[in-house]
Amino acid sequence: MAALKNLTIAACLALVLGVGPAAWCQTPISFNSQIRPILSEYCFACHGPDEETRAADLRLDQREPALDYGAIVEGEPDESLLIERIVSEDPDMLMPPPETGKTLTAAQKELLAEWIRQGGEYQKHWSFEPLPESIAIPESVDDWPRTSVDPFVAQKHREKGFQPNQEADKATWLRRVTFDLTGLPPTLSQLDAFLADSSDDAYDNVVERLLASPAYGERMAVMWLDVARYADTFGYQNDIPMEVWPWRQWVIEAFNSNMPYDQFITEQIAGDLIPNATVSQRLATTFNRLHRQTNEGGSVAEEFRLTGITDRTTTAGTAFLGLTMECCRCHDHKFDPIKQKEFYQLSAYFSDIDEFGLYSHFTFSAPTPAMLLYEGDQQQNHEAAKQAIAEAEASLEAAIRTARVEWQSRQDDWIETLPDPRGPVFALPLEGTVDGIVGKATVCNGDDAIECKDAPLFGRTSEFSYSLWVRPESQGPRMMVLHQSRAAEDAAFRGLELTLDEGHPQFSMIHFWPGNAMRVRSLEQIPNGRWTHLAVTHDGSGRADGVRIFINGKPVEVDVIRDQLTRDVRQRTEWGDLDVDRVSLTLGARFRDLGFRGGRVDDLKVFDVELSTAEVLSIFAAVQPENAPPVVDAEIALQHQWLTADETVAQARRRLAKAREIENEIVTGVREIMTMRHYEDAPPTHVLGRGEYTNKTEQVSPGTPELAGGLPEAGDDRLSLAKWMTDPQNPLTSRVIANRMWHLFFGRGIVVTLEDFGSQGTPPTHPELLDHLARSLMDNGWDLHWLCREIVLSSTYRQSSKVGDPQLYQRDRDNTWLTRGPKHRLSAEQLRDTVLAASGLLVKKIGGPSVMPYQPAGLWRESGTGKSYNQSTGDGLYRRSLYTFWKRTAPPPTMLTLDATSRESCTPRRELTTTPLQALVFLNDPQYVEASRVLAESLVQTHGDDHDARWNELFRKVLSRPPNDGEREVINQLYHEQQTYFSKNPPFADEFLNVGAQPLQDAAERTDVAATTIVVQALFAYDESIMLR
Amino acid sequence: MDSSTTRRHWLQQFGMGLGGIAASQLLQRDVAAAAPAVSPTAGIPSGGVVNPTHHAPKAKRVIYLFQAGGPSQLETWDYKPLLNEKQGEPLPDSVRQGQRLTGMSGNQAVLPLAGSMYKFNRHGENGTWVSELMPHMAKQVDQIAVVKSMYTEAINHDPAITFLQTGNQLSGRPSIGSWLHYGLGSENDNLPTFVVLVTKGKGGQPLYSRLWGSGFLPARYQGVQFRSGKEPVLYLSNPAGISAGSRRNMLDRLNDLHQLEQDRLGDPALATRIEQYEMAYRMQSSVPDVANLAEEPQSVKDLYGPDVSKPGSFAANCLLARRLAERGVRFIQLYHQGWDHHGNIPGGMKTQCRDTDQPSAALLQDLQQRGLLDDTLVIWGGEFGRTNYSQGTLTATNYGRDHHPRCFSMWMAGGGVKAGVNHGETCPFGYNVVSDGVHVRDFHATLLHLMGIDHHRLSVKFQGLDARLTGVEPARVVNEILA
Repeated sequence: MAALKNLTIAACLALVLGVGPAAWCQTPISFNSQIRPILSEYCFACHGPDEETRAADLRLDQREPALDYGAIVEGEPDESLLIERIVSEDPDMLMPPPETGKTLTAAQKELLAEWIRQGGEYQKHWSFEPLPESIAIPESVDDWPRTSVDPFVAQKHREKGFQPNQEADKATWLRRVTFDLTGLPPTLSQLDAFLADSSDDAYDNVVERLLASPAYGERMAVMWLDVARYADTFGYQNDIPMEVWPWRQWVIEAFNSNMPYDQFITEQIAGDLIPNATVSQRLATTFNRLHRQTNEGGSVAEEFRLTGITDRTTTAGTAFLGLTMECCRCHDHKFDPIKQKEFYQLSAYFSDIDEFGLYSHFTFSAPTPAMLLYEGDQQQNHEAAKQAIAEAEASLEAAIRTARVEWQSRQDDWIETLPDPRGPVFALPLEGTVDGIVGKATVCNGDDAIECKDAPLFGRTSEFSYSLWVRPESQGPRMMVLHQSRAAEDAAFRGLELTLDEGHPQFSMIHFWPGNAMRVRSLEQIPNGRWTHLAVTHDGSGRADGVRIFINGKPVEVDVIRDQLTRDVRQRTEWGDLDVDRVSLTLGARFRDLGFRGGRVDDLKVFDVELSTAEVLSIFAAVQPENAPPVVDAEIALQHQWLTADETVAQARRRLAKAREIENEIVTGVREIMTMRHYEDAPPTHVLGRGEYTNKTEQVSPGTPELAGGLPEAGDDRLSLAKWMTDPQNPLTSRVIANRMWHLFFGRGIVVTLEDFGSQGTPPTHPELLDHLARSLMDNGWDLHWLCREIVLSSTYRQSSKVGDPQLYQRDRDNTWLTRGPKHRLSAEQLRDTVLAASGLLVKKIGGPSVMPYQPAGLWRESGTGKSYNQSTGDGLYRRSLYTFWKRTAPPPTMLTLDATSRESCTPRRELTTTPLQALVFLNDPQYVEASRVLAESLVQTHGDDHDARWNELFRKVLSRPPNDGEREVINQLYHEQQTYFSKNPPFADEFLNVGAQPLQDAAERTDVAATTIVVQALFAYDESIMLR
Repeated sequence: MDSSTTRRHWLQQFGMGLGGIAASQLLQRDVAAAAPAVSPTAGIPSGGVVNPTHHAPKAKRVIYLFQAGGPSQLETWDYKPLLNEKQGEPLPDSVRQGQRLTGMSGNQAVLPLAGSMYKFNRHGENGTWVSELMPHMAKQVDQIAVVKSMYTEAINHDPAITFLQTGNQLSGRPSIGSWLHYGLGSENDNLPTFVVLVTKGKGGQPLYSRLWGSGFLPARYQGVQFRSGKEPVLYLSNPAGISAGSRRNMLDRLNDLHQLEQDRLGDPALATRIEQYEMAYRMQSSVPDVANLAEEPQSVKDLYGPDVSKPGSFAANCLLARRLAERGVRFIQLYHQGWDHHGNIPGGMKTQCRDTDQPSAALLQDLQQRGLLDDTLVIWGGEFGRTNYSQGTLTATNYGRDHHPRCFSMWMAGGGVKAGVNHGETCPFGYNVVSDGVHVRDFHATLLHLMGIDHHRLSVKFQGLDARLTGVEPARVVNEILA
């Protein structure tokens, strides 16, 4: 039976496949490039690493289990269950099952059979194998190779029977490398210098010049900003501006100083944890805060905090490791050996900050943690102000010490009974409808707020005290008793608030919760159904030790929940805060918050001084004298004296208050930027069932994925994560960056899927070359310049991109085997920068805030955001495109049309398309039209009637070559036809030339300039200008 | 013996293999597979990747009237007199069953039930209940299928609209129009295949270009927004002073340059770029042509109501949608914002319905009169429903409603949809679906089905997965509303 069956299988194989096994068994099969992609695509979803969805307990992603099962029998495809199933004609038995829609081709089935015949060997997935210590460079058989890249490429040529293409001419190479390294075309003088330079160093010198140019950093930054999902707005619904451009500047400077790549990674992941971290290193960590955030009303903070952490994890995973970590958010990876638990362990590294999860609607601050970014003399002034505070505090302490000593000897002057407290600046009897503790009281329903519009507003540096009687009906979380704020989450809790948290009085002073806030929570609770006197006093410091909570006249011990308030608690117009005038002292409820439902409030008093303990006790005792102490305690009496009756102390307090105000105003004017700052008490990380924030399961600590084993151990903080990523044993990091740089220069990676080095990604076409580049990069101190040189000075890169032989083209359509030079469309940024550069309009300033160049009016308004696009004037119209303000929900339309993305999430790779909308941009976008006009004016002015000279300069500026005869004929014809058109309609010339903000120079003749502008336009729209060949 | 050995042994013994199947039978099967299918439900050729279509399509094009903000079903299509009876009473836990609330009403002390201030009446042959706010659509109920049992999981606008438009709450995926363009190709060489029309001047919840984006499909499948005003498509118009003739001349010379380049470089991709310039040129006349509503006869304009002469109004966009449909635009997506009535339902709904009721009904009639309704699928709906309790204070004359994912109403018409039916029911409290629930995924499966596509079989490789509009979770075609 078995024998018959085996024979039948073999027969079926032969019939179905139509080709005998003999054809295949000459070449050893490569598991990783030939077999793994088939198994991954057709089998792993059900028979792969994910235990939970594993069918029939069979896994094919590892050899032992597959052998064990009988799926594979070494050397015997006819006995292997895997083969049996894939050739089965019974739809219930056929693998993959027909309902998946996946069907193996005959060739694939034969390949699998042959693989088993050859032993059914597995390989560790290629990208999880550590890099070899050294990679042998293949022997060269001729003098074609120039750099170490070429022997690898040549070897593949030989294997496949290819010849390299002829070299590109010098101008073509110069244009190519200049765009690739700086994003700009070569200038005329750069072009002429290179063409004239016949020395051996000519090419090397060009490359050195380009690498040293500041434009290099800008060009590399564009690549990195995509990966880092850099944008100028938060994204999601409200999509308000997010001020992170200083981080963009950091990136440009990092590339321009040729920061080693391992340092580049380390500073961005963990700059704050580097010992003695500089401002620059901490600024680098903004990389982790660039994800989208929302402030939409009703959002659940925890949901978005976790989403932000997820984004940090997946972005780091894609950017540095080339892994699709997003798959493991909800389940084990289906194709790669990464467990869901490992996803959350990795995410634990990025959750170590004191953040809320939402940003604010009514107030504008950088969501904490945030770092001060001084400009000009701000730092100096701020240090001085802080110094003044320190001195004033010391003086005050000294004055108090002196006063205590003095008052000790004057006990006769002390109060014996409770004193009359100083007068309140505001009082509200709250004579409502229910019985109170002082007359009638008011009951709160939890939704309706009691506003005290005449009460004073206090700031971070204000001395103040609040006193009131409360009678809670029930306990609940954060029930709002008294506050001075606009809203809760919707204002990031900016303001002052007194709440009852499960019966514990809790007082907070908040700039942005939780990272810039002070909160103290009484250890003692107050009872339901009974009246309690509550008071809060504040000494003006904004610190926990400057606040006291009193229950029934006695100061209570508190838990310090937060003590890091460094900015004002009021809403301020200079920050752009909304509804500044609508903030008032309020009782019982807050916008969309949990109110003091069923609670009663009575006899509110507000003071603009810090009351003494004696005064608080006095207020309490006035209502419940039976609870007052018979005699005033000595310490209380003493405190009352120096706090209220001592002129020296009073003077010192005034001086301190002034110093605090000054500092507060200074820091108000200093910009802040979101960064990472390690917070020891950050919430623990849990695995989330199906990725849902409401389904927290196992708690995990920081850890790195095992992948295929053999990786170094990582510690539990971000700095050790960075070390793990940049460890020479890490098989991914160096390969990923080498591949990304290769993609930059060739338009196509050695691994096409830059973002996926896993099973479902494409395997490398030249694995040894990739390993060599990765290993050498590390050996050269992660020097990206080295990598650039090795690539652009190679013969491979120097090839012409012309398709000579159509047959050759058929055999290598995508230039997989590098049989010709690179050819791809210029990016959105490069196209706009080119017309600006060629026309001379380009403003070369580096860095700074984003600008708003030309955009059709009303786009932002139309999408309902309620925002206006404030188009820049002057220089802002002509900066390099990477400075264009990037609004996530309404990105610059020409950029989108030319394949830029919204930057809502990590963009590892842009595609390049051809659409009619692009044609419309080249022909009609005012930016392009104006640049054409300005360039035309310059050509006319420089060359007068010498049209040939005009077209020479035009072509050389844009294409780095003069026009050939055919082109010259066409251009001249176009010029004359257009000149005729404009001559017949002179007003049209005026209208046409009136485009853009740049004024028209008077001198030249209008129809001439107009016709020339059309010629320039045609050249900007010309395919060869748009392409990099 | 461990289990794996036993299993292997068992499988081999019991001949899970081919047993005695003769080779000849295999051959015959392969030959049979090569013969073309002949069936009345067979697919038709298409210009996209689904070629031929998986089965015969009923609809060739879609007009999706998206009502952004979440229109209250309780003031439009879902009649719940019980709420009026129980006005002001708290929402019972037995009805709420733990449904999460948004932070906007979640902290309210009370969730008071709020009946609709507007009356409902029965209309059409089926006696469909329609609110008095929609007198025109009330007359069209015999043309449409009303689905009252829509449900979603998303409770906030961004994820909810993203879910309806792209099949997933997480952004980054292609929108319906992009999938259809990719799958079926284009029927018109001069106009974009996927056009987006947003009512001008509406605020409320903002829209984002990714809602009509192509996600991970190539960018040419993204929707193209037509704006009202003189330049419907960005950069469509020539610069001032450039006539069509001058432009044509420039393009002709550009063509000459491209021919020279072609001769020199032999790049096959060049042909595509040349074609794009030509299409751009054609669009410069075809787009203003189609957007020129003035040429419509007065009788048609009257059908749509007075707003039709206000550029960018919902009425104008509906008329424009019909014109686009006539010219073979595959997917026309309208957005009308302003339905997010957290407060002021009475006033807000009145305004919104007044803006949209007549034009929607007019569109149906207009399409029908031109014989287009049979193969044009028209859809009306938003991203979720609204709560049966009042957000904010409930008074005799005013109330608001918060977001509600568990039930909402949509209607579909034309393109293979059964006319004059109601599908699905909600509980008397208007809170839960009690029968024939239609999930967002089911809606997508049905839409694709009507266009001739089996939603399982239209996919694209992304992040290692065969990504589909309907995703990986089960989705069913709602056969009950298919004609």
